[in-house]
Amino acid sequence: MNTKPFSSGLSENAVMITRVADRQWHALQDDLVVGRGHAAHRPDGRLFVSIDAWHDTTFDRLAEAMLAQLPAPLHTVVDEADVELTAAWRRAGFTVRRREWEYVVPTDPRVTGLHDVLPPSGVTIVPAGAADERLLRAVDRAIREEVEATVGWQSMPAEVIALPEGETIVDPSKYAVAATPDRYLGLIRVVTAIRPRIGLIAVRAGEQRRGIGRALLAHALGTLHRSGFTEAWAEVHESNRAASALFEGVGARPASSNLELVR
Amino acid sequence: MTKNKNVIEVEGRVVECLRSAMFTVELENGHQVLAHISGKIRKNYIKIMLEDRVLVELPPYDLTRGRIVFRYRN
Repeated sequence: MNTKPFSSGLSENAVMITRVADRQWHALQDDLVVGRGHAAHRPDGRLFVSIDAWHDTTFDRLAEAMLAQLPAPLHTVVDEADVELTAAWRRAGFTVRRREWEYVVPTDPRVTGLHDVLPPSGVTIVPAGAADERLLRAVDRAIREEVEATVGWQSMPAEVIALPEGETIVDPSKYAVAATPDRYLGLIRVVTAIRPRIGLIAVRAGEQRRGIGRALLAHALGTLHRSGFTEAWAEVHESNRAASALFEGVGARPASSNLELVR
Repeated sequence: MTKNKNVIEVEGRVVECLRSAMFTVELENGHQVLAHISGKIRKNYIKIMLEDRVLVELPPYDLTRGRIVFRYRN
């Protein structure tokens, strides 16, 4: 850890950049913290950075210090509507890697049209908290391998909670699954901190286009609606047309978009 | 209001969601500031919406602006 203060430019020597922890930087001016930088690894191994500063020059100097001390590639995420922050990261050499739509998904079956949606014959929906953990981990692993072999898991919505090595499921009780007697075909994960977020919905490659994803979504949204939630949130990569079609087909609307930037 | 490590932090309530990812936050004392979301909140996909109770960091020399650094659960 480097806690020795340094200045990255002679013309603005009033601001001092200090690495205060392994992945944390402060910009100090007259003993006041006028900017902060932070870095954190995602479960998929990518290193994400963020900078908060009140002035562009402070942002630039924090970025300069962080980029000099962290290994590439570095990622960050910004709201596409935040043009100033996006411009600041561009100044630091970051470019747009991907765009993700944030959908607001209604839960009311009268709006979604999902009130009479059932899974295909021979498939049942196992509600959250009732899934067999061994079968759940098997389907999660299989789907991740299928995605990795095609578009790549990094094209999926971000997972931000730190996980033990090799682990992909934090809380099995958050998953509802589509099941046959001997294996699971698909899953949906809904986490409600304050507002429900659909973090993942996926079906095994060989079982797609049978209405399983729609049945999982109908189950999850119906459960939320009965619990009193009128909306849920979901992020979808802009190239994932199947997911966009699934959500827009139930009345979801894109409320905003996030840009992932990389350098 | 708290002052931690030379940072002024005040609790408030989101009273308006504006364009450009900005928010109007009414502070405990009734004062309103124009606030944006901190990078850590954005990085962790935490949604800020109308009526949310939040913790706002204020810049040392400009009390009309703010940065939302925490969203309370209720």
